[in-house]
Amino acid sequence: MSDAIKELVYRSCLLLDARDFEGFLALCHANFRYTVRAYSPEIRRDMVWLDHDRSGIEALFRTLPRHHSDPSPLTRHVTVYTVTIDEAAARANVVSALQVFRTALDGGATHLFAIGKLYDTVSLDDGVPHLAKREVQLDTRALEIGTHIPL
Amino acid sequence: MPRNAAEWAERPNLPRTHYVDGRLYTDEVLFREEQEKIFARTWILACHESELPHAGDYRTFSHPAGRNLVLIRGEDGAVRAFYNICPHRGNSLVREPAGNAKALTCIFHAWSFDCRGNCTGIARRKEGFQDRLAARDVGLRSVRTEAGPGGFVWVNVADDGPSLAHYLGDALGALAPRLSEPLEVFHFQKVHVRTNYKLWHDTNSEFYHDFIHYFNRVTGMQQPGYFERRYAPFPNGHVSVGSMRVRYDQYEGGQERIGWPGLEPGGWYLVDLFPGITFNLRTSVLRIDTAIPLGPNEVLIELRGLGLARDTPRERELRVRDHNAIWGPFGRNLHEDFLAVTGQGASLRNASTDTRFLLHGREENATIHDEIGVRHFYAEWSRRMGRSSSDPFAEASAP
Repeated sequence: MSDAIKELVYRSCLLLDARDFEGFLALCHANFRYTVRAYSPEIRRDMVWLDHDRSGIEALFRTLPRHHSDPSPLTRHVTVYTVTIDEAAARANVVSALQVFRTALDGGATHLFAIGKLYDTVSLDDGVPHLAKREVQLDTRALEIGTHIPL
Repeated sequence: MPRNAAEWAERPNLPRTHYVDGRLYTDEVLFREEQEKIFARTWILACHESELPHAGDYRTFSHPAGRNLVLIRGEDGAVRAFYNICPHRGNSLVREPAGNAKALTCIFHAWSFDCRGNCTGIARRKEGFQDRLAARDVGLRSVRTEAGPGGFVWVNVADDGPSLAHYLGDALGALAPRLSEPLEVFHFQKVHVRTNYKLWHDTNSEFYHDFIHYFNRVTGMQQPGYFERRYAPFPNGHVSVGSMRVRYDQYEGGQERIGWPGLEPGGWYLVDLFPGITFNLRTSVLRIDTAIPLGPNEVLIELRGLGLARDTPRERELRVRDHNAIWGPFGRNLHEDFLAVTGQGASLRNASTDTRFLLHGREENATIHDEIGVRHFYAEWSRRMGRSSSDPFAEASAP
């Protein structure tokens, strides 16, 4: 099961890289929640930068084509550090390191866009892993001009 | 029809007040002059009082005139600002962007200073300086500091000049009654952008660019009242924009917002303060932009989101949600604004790009797509710089 859980995390990043949002949502539980957080040493507070339930993230994806967005590809590099399975609760907690790179369309220069960690809660209902919750804890706060695409 | 090189160089057939010379965004000489003639003589918003709630709390600030400052709250409750420089050997006194200290002690040679800027300790002074130098001779460089509407802390690196109240005048008049309750910063972000600071402030000073924002088109431009919003210019280059009722429910997934004391439902007031500060009170959230120019084509923008200090956890959660929907790093509008100004930054990265003139000539009776806000900014810029914004090097033969 641990391998299947790791593959779920890796696959979720591959699908976001490919901007295959339907494919990404297919990996998510009906009660999926997605959050991006960061701590600000300037104001000495935790900040929430994105927080959506499943319907919110679906709306976010659906409305993307109506917006002007930076077309530069984002590429996620993830390493799963720990997988902790709670069989009684049919759930697993996964901690992964996250690096996101941005590649310019003109010339193809790649640079580091953000680093942080993924804290995933994986549902194991019926023995099939689904993302129930993803919390992205960013170390990087200078996200250049930002992005419309979840990390 | 397309224009050849000579035609491209011709001045627009508009009044000189209705366009700007592209070199205002690229010229190094103009940039250095702006730092001294504008930023070193103007009140600048440095932080909010909620960032320094306790005695000894400090906060650093990169002042747009180039000075590095530290603001610190004293035992008497007053916030004072100083250069963040040890007068001994020029080391930075504090390195973290915020913290708390009973005294500011330089890690280099252990000189220490109190919250009023007095030197309170010179390590082995008697042995090294004998009677040639005393603590009273080496106090910190103080910077004028005043509290403004809403609890914001303003600084002015010039020793003299008008008070903050005189500088602001009535520009915040529409907002001030709505900023009477204690506020709290919940969002802070620094964004380093390759563009000129004026291009960011220009964007905040005209709503014609709502065409880039799908969110604003469906919740604002297509709704009653949008085209009745009016600009009001104020002395010293400031301008404010009147309100309307924004229909947040018209955006998919959008929801009505919880509102703000004294603000009508869906209300939205915006005030642009010369030379690069924007107060943006949009229904449930106050956003503050502070533009800190780093070079002709480089600006650091400090973005703050504020709610009420008395917010319940649920109220704060809703304000944060509203903020992030359009103004967060993943928000719909902020990213689009950055796309626009970085596109300008690429086109105006230096003089060789030959971007001759930028237009701000729309006149619509000072309503929302009138570019009066931008014109008002450049009138003040010209006054302070002693140069015409449409002809900064006085090359044209006739006015």
